[in-house]
Amino acid sequence: MSRPLILGIETSCDETGVAVVSGNEILATVLSSQVDEHSRFGGVVPEVAARAHVEAIRPMVHMALRQAGVHSDQLDAVAATRGPGLVGALMVGYSFAKAMAWTLDTPFVGVDHMEGHLFAPRLEHTEFEPPAIVLLASGGHSQIVHVRNWGEYEILGATIDDAAGEAFDKIARFMGLGFPGGPAIDKAADGGDPDIVRFPRALRDQPYNFSFSGLKTSVITYLEKAKASNSVPPLPDVAAAVQEAIVDVLVAKTFNATTATGVNRVAGGGGVLANRRLRSKLQAEADKRGVALHLPSPALCTDNGAMIAAAGEFRLERGETTPWGLDVSSSLRLGS
Amino acid sequence: MKILAIDTATSASSIALGDEDQLAAMSIKVDRRGHGGFLVPAIDFAFRSAGWKPGDIEVVAVDIGPGLFTGIRAGISTAQAIAAAVGAPIVTVSSLTALAVRAATGRRRIWPVVDIRRGQYATRPFRPVPGGVAPDGPAEIVSADGLHNLIDSDAEDTLLVGDTEGLPSSTFRGLHRVKKGRPRYPSADVLLEIAAMHARNDNFVMPEEVRPLYMREPDAQINWSDFRNEGVWPGAEG
Ligand SMILES: [Zn+2]
Repeated sequence: MSRPLILGIETSCDETGVAVVSGNEILATVLSSQVDEHSRFGGVVPEVAARAHVEAIRPMVHMALRQAGVHSDQLDAVAATRGPGLVGALMVGYSFAKAMAWTLDTPFVGVDHMEGHLFAPRLEHTEFEPPAIVLLASGGHSQIVHVRNWGEYEILGATIDDAAGEAFDKIARFMGLGFPGGPAIDKAADGGDPDIVRFPRALRDQPYNFSFSGLKTSVITYLEKAKASNSVPPLPDVAAAVQEAIVDVLVAKTFNATTATGVNRVAGGGGVLANRRLRSKLQAEADKRGVALHLPSPALCTDNGAMIAAAGEFRLERGETTPWGLDVSSSLRLGS
Repeated sequence: MKILAIDTATSASSIALGDEDQLAAMSIKVDRRGHGGFLVPAIDFAFRSAGWKPGDIEVVAVDIGPGLFTGIRAGISTAQAIAAAVGAPIVTVSSLTALAVRAATGRRRIWPVVDIRRGQYATRPFRPVPGGVAPDGPAEIVSADGLHNLIDSDAEDTLLVGDTEGLPSSTFRGLHRVKKGRPRYPSADVLLEIAAMHARNDNFVMPEEVRPLYMREPDAQINWSDFRNEGVWPGAEG
């Protein structure tokens, strides 16, 4: 039996992502990234994001359908991110998707953005099934989720201050590396020696929670001192040391969760999971422990329409379509 | 010509169905936050009560602002999706024009006012002409004091309409030739009339060409006062 043909729309933050998906097959996935629009501010500006979405949404939907070779009336459902995210940004994709579904007389599914990230690994790794521990880390969120079953989630830990991606952004900004910080630091760290300085790993007494604001302060203090004494180390070394501090904490807490729960499957999602050092350290740790690791390719780690379609299919199959009157929810929380 | 009109540019959301001479169904809700939850249920209900199907739509009319940014975008996204799905063109209407058209009676010059928050108001003078109104000056964003000065400098008898309730009383002090009137908000039934007029002149845009009329730059502030984008390594910026 063929799986339903679903259009997935993601506009919770700074990417207008649209995809056409059927089961594990991504027929088309397109993205209009706003990096250039936000880079001069060093972060995502909500009103700038919403403005870019409303210009991109119609062309992106059109392009995805055309690439997939699908006519809109062939769709079995339209799915869109309902939250969490920036209200003005969410409103664009969600309104578009809802109105499109209504016009086509096809089911509409409002999707939890985080559940979308949980389903992303399955698009490429069909063997990915619960129970699993999933590390979600991006500019807007950092969580460790215990996926007991599809639809049954427990958030084991989260950041108590900055998200991991936000830490990358802020530190990169201080270092003059531009936005977004994650890829910039990843690139700058090439060939660097992470052991030149050991930045603090915070909250070691808490098994699953993160804190990154202390790291930021410590990097600034370190660099200001180095500058004052005219002994600034090479950029790749400092970038590597910063990256190592963030990555170490993410890896350690993820595997704290596998140990505590006895779950032997790990996956990841969110833009930070595109970081090469994080990917290789997760892989090394998983291999050492004999734990299966399912990391989506980088394009499916960052926000995209395909993951929304995938989570949308799951909700659709359970008969959980979204009533027309339900609005976006910026504070939607997984598992509640 | 069957038209669906959508107006969510201000605190009042409304949708209307109809053609050149008749309103088939309409729905209004005043709630400055509820645009997203209002639109499709209202459209769905209106279509059922009018006995229309989505495929019947020949034109979609939408208020593109100025007004509340999120509401404007909810309306435009909805209009784009519906128009694209049925292959209909779009007629865009400014909220200021919608207010002026509804207010047009008699001979007074009309100043429609839309509250765009942060103490700012959008306005533009219109003069009544046979069959409607014509813009009689540029659209502007002004403060309450600025609005007072604008209207005070108008030598003609004027009619002030739109969202004037929130204006401080000093805005109207000493203005003698000014009358306050209705409507308070633009609404979709007026959009129907305007769209029918535009449709006769083939004055359409394609869904992807529709752009909001914000009349204000985005608030672009990130509270990172503890960060200086100075760069420790010269030339490191990639
Ligand atoms: Zn995300």
